[in-house]
Amino acid sequence: MPDTILVVVEQREGKLNRVSWETITAGQAISAATGWPLEAAVVGASPAAIAAEVATKKLAKVYGVESPKLEPYTPDAFAAGLKQFIASKQPKLVLMPHTYQVRDFVPKLATAMGRTVISDCVRFKHENGKLLFTRQMFQGKLAADVSFTSDAPWFATFQNGAFRGDKAEAGASPAPIETATVEIADSAIRNKPREVFKEAKQAVDLTQAEIIVSVGRGIKEQKNIELAKQLADALGGDLAASRPICDSGWLPMDRQIGSSGQTVAPKLYLALGISGAIQHIVGMKGSRTIIAVNKDSEAPIFEIADYAIVGNLFDIVPPLIEEVKKAKAGG
Amino acid sequence: MLVFRKPIQGVERPQMPADVVIVGGGPAGMACALRLAQLIDAHNSTYPDSQLSKENIYVLEKAREVGQHCLSGALLDPRSMRELLPGFEKEAPLDAEVNKEAVYFLTQKSKFKLPITPSPLRDHGNYVISLNRFVKWLGSKVEATGITIFTGFAGSELIFSDDTNEARVTGVRTDDKGVDKEGRPKSNFEPGYDLNAKVVILAEGPRGSLTKQLTDKFDLAKDANPQTYGVGVKELWEVPSGRVAKGEVIYTMGWPLTTKEYGGAWIYGGKDNIVSLGFVTGLDYPDPRLDPQHVLQEFKRHPFVAKLLEGGKMIRYGAKSMPYGGWWAVPPVAGNGWMILGDSAGFVNSARLKGIHLAIKSGMLAAETAFEALRKDDSSLATLGGFQKKVESSWIKDELWKVRNMHQGFENGFYAGMFHTALQMVTGGRGLRNRYPAKAGHEHMRMLAELPADGGAEAHLLGPAKGDGKLTFDKLTDLYHSGTKHEEDQPSHLIIHDTNICEQRCVKEYGGPCQNFCPANVYELLDDASAPNGKRISLNPSNCVHCKTCDIADPYQIITWVPPEGGGGPNYDGM
Repeated sequence: MPDTILVVVEQREGKLNRVSWETITAGQAISAATGWPLEAAVVGASPAAIAAEVATKKLAKVYGVESPKLEPYTPDAFAAGLKQFIASKQPKLVLMPHTYQVRDFVPKLATAMGRTVISDCVRFKHENGKLLFTRQMFQGKLAADVSFTSDAPWFATFQNGAFRGDKAEAGASPAPIETATVEIADSAIRNKPREVFKEAKQAVDLTQAEIIVSVGRGIKEQKNIELAKQLADALGGDLAASRPICDSGWLPMDRQIGSSGQTVAPKLYLALGISGAIQHIVGMKGSRTIIAVNKDSEAPIFEIADYAIVGNLFDIVPPLIEEVKKAKAGG
Repeated sequence: MLVFRKPIQGVERPQMPADVVIVGGGPAGMACALRLAQLIDAHNSTYPDSQLSKENIYVLEKAREVGQHCLSGALLDPRSMRELLPGFEKEAPLDAEVNKEAVYFLTQKSKFKLPITPSPLRDHGNYVISLNRFVKWLGSKVEATGITIFTGFAGSELIFSDDTNEARVTGVRTDDKGVDKEGRPKSNFEPGYDLNAKVVILAEGPRGSLTKQLTDKFDLAKDANPQTYGVGVKELWEVPSGRVAKGEVIYTMGWPLTTKEYGGAWIYGGKDNIVSLGFVTGLDYPDPRLDPQHVLQEFKRHPFVAKLLEGGKMIRYGAKSMPYGGWWAVPPVAGNGWMILGDSAGFVNSARLKGIHLAIKSGMLAAETAFEALRKDDSSLATLGGFQKKVESSWIKDELWKVRNMHQGFENGFYAGMFHTALQMVTGGRGLRNRYPAKAGHEHMRMLAELPADGGAEAHLLGPAKGDGKLTFDKLTDLYHSGTKHEEDQPSHLIIHDTNICEQRCVKEYGGPCQNFCPANVYELLDDASAPNGKRISLNPSNCVHCKTCDIADPYQIITWVPPEGGGGPNYDGM
């Protein structure tokens, strides 16, 4: 079989990942340098539509690698399906975009075939008949040229943005499309995908809060946080904390105020048991009104507080909650 | 539950060959890199047929930017810089040439000026510099030669050829990035690199962590005196003009320390009314409640100092340990595949309180030896041992030999120290005998039960400083001005080998000196009814300013400082 290059195009739920065009551009450039024909593969339960879209580019052939087991995406099914396909076609070089999905299955695929991956490449070079891939090292301070010493097929992935997707050359006529059905045993798929969800970037956005009840070390124990929460709820505000509280894991990090957390400027900032180290103050000094409760009358928080309550927060907060509730009910 | 940093096990690490790896981009490391580049360039132009490459020479620097972790007084003796870069004065960032100096002995309310400045403290011809700006400049010189500085990468451990005593150092492993608090890889995990080097040069500064690993493995300290250290706590002030002249140097002894502690202060006048002041407290004080940051605050309250600072503003803070055990505390500095430079080796003149010029000189000498090693393609002790000989026949030894017994003389307090110093000055450094012995500083610490409950004469130095917010500051406020910052979600880089000792013994015996000696509030003992003595150790590693005091001063020697994820640490500017 002659040496070929295979670009594995990325699709998920019938949608083409646009970064695939970049990989096709890369493939076309390597093809031009080496003279190896370029082919592409779309992997999925029904890859035909995307295969047709891909076939508009200058490619020798487009394969639709098909199996009902490829939907929904699982790393096991993709690795098994592609292994079968690649083993039958024996391309010299397999290229993929360095996406999350590829990162998920390509190590498995390569290992299963006893091959290596050169991942996250930014360039390639073709020197004296040798194909070199450039990877960044030391967080981009160095670039290393890496080549394959193992037998083909070789696997390489390209970093997002390494090539320009809009430079992918169109073909004079659509490339031929061939369907390649792969058999994937049920037992090969050990992953059971659940519903796809997006992890919230930040569960709370304290910068938008109008009222913040913030707790510090004076709260003493994790279970006492509930008291502050009740006050926050009564006021219709959000709960926040100084560093020691989040550091102990009593509240999540995204509720930390200060130099290593968020900077806020609510209308009302209620500081409960916060001494007011400068590291905390820089995160909240822009608040319009600051009320501080602390038993140490010399706590630095009082220097910036508009209302200073010297006393034990466990004596002060419970009646305060009652008063707020009463006022709200009455108002 | 505290989880401590260690290299992740069982991962495949990228391997990278290197000719020379210099760990630490301070004055020693940068001078070494620069000298090596000079030698290679000269060689390459003389021998066009046998070219040596600079491409595989690397400097590892844990700070995000070059110089960011460098802190010193600082006065620069220009001797070695004139050898390294003749005419450097024209382009280096020098604040002022020293033109006036004085030494004072302070009592609580008064000051006595020494009628003549002792010769080691005569500084005419030296320069007031900001070490971190100076090193930043030196780093730009290194980069211009084509040598790569990996900023944001720390040396996390040395790689050895085998486990025996005959092993050679074969490389350096850099820090793992993207490890969470529990020691698990995060989604951005990147394993550290194995830099497999012919020559590894340790220029980590005082109490280097790889130097410690090396010292332990080969028992390098066995024939040397234990290294003794002080911690310099420094503030940079902007003061009204006319207080301290540009180029003016003031040293003080005495107050606030008592006769039981070793140490003293410096005040240097820089340009633009910037004043560098700091206090070096010997880490061999007896009372575990003593707090070096507090000592600096007390010093500023002395009428003489308060007057200089009045109406001024503190703009930066930092702390760094310094080794001043002297010549007898220097371990072997070369072996199979390795050399040790600068403060890591202990090249500090304890009488002059200076080490930058020695660090630079040691870097230059090591570069000459590394160059030999590259040319001969042999980095065994046979070649690298040349560095040891070069040091011993250089002016590094001349300078250190004269003061070889200086600090040991003070082991029994101030008056004995003054006696020995005087004697040593007239006997060429010898004093009563050629080699004065020393004890490690932490062995001087005494248990609470042996000390007066009210602190006695030291009471004003004990426990946390309160701070008035103008002249004096509490530790957290000072710390804020160090600009220190670390990735929060990472294992603690302060390794306590047995936290049971903290809670079961230390709380009772010493009352937790870590809370006091740490100038960055890393260590806390929190009330905890379930703990054996009602206190639980808690760490704030992200406060750390990388001074290494904990590693040095802990009386049980159970703390090991290792570098945190590269890029973290203080953000010194002008320090």
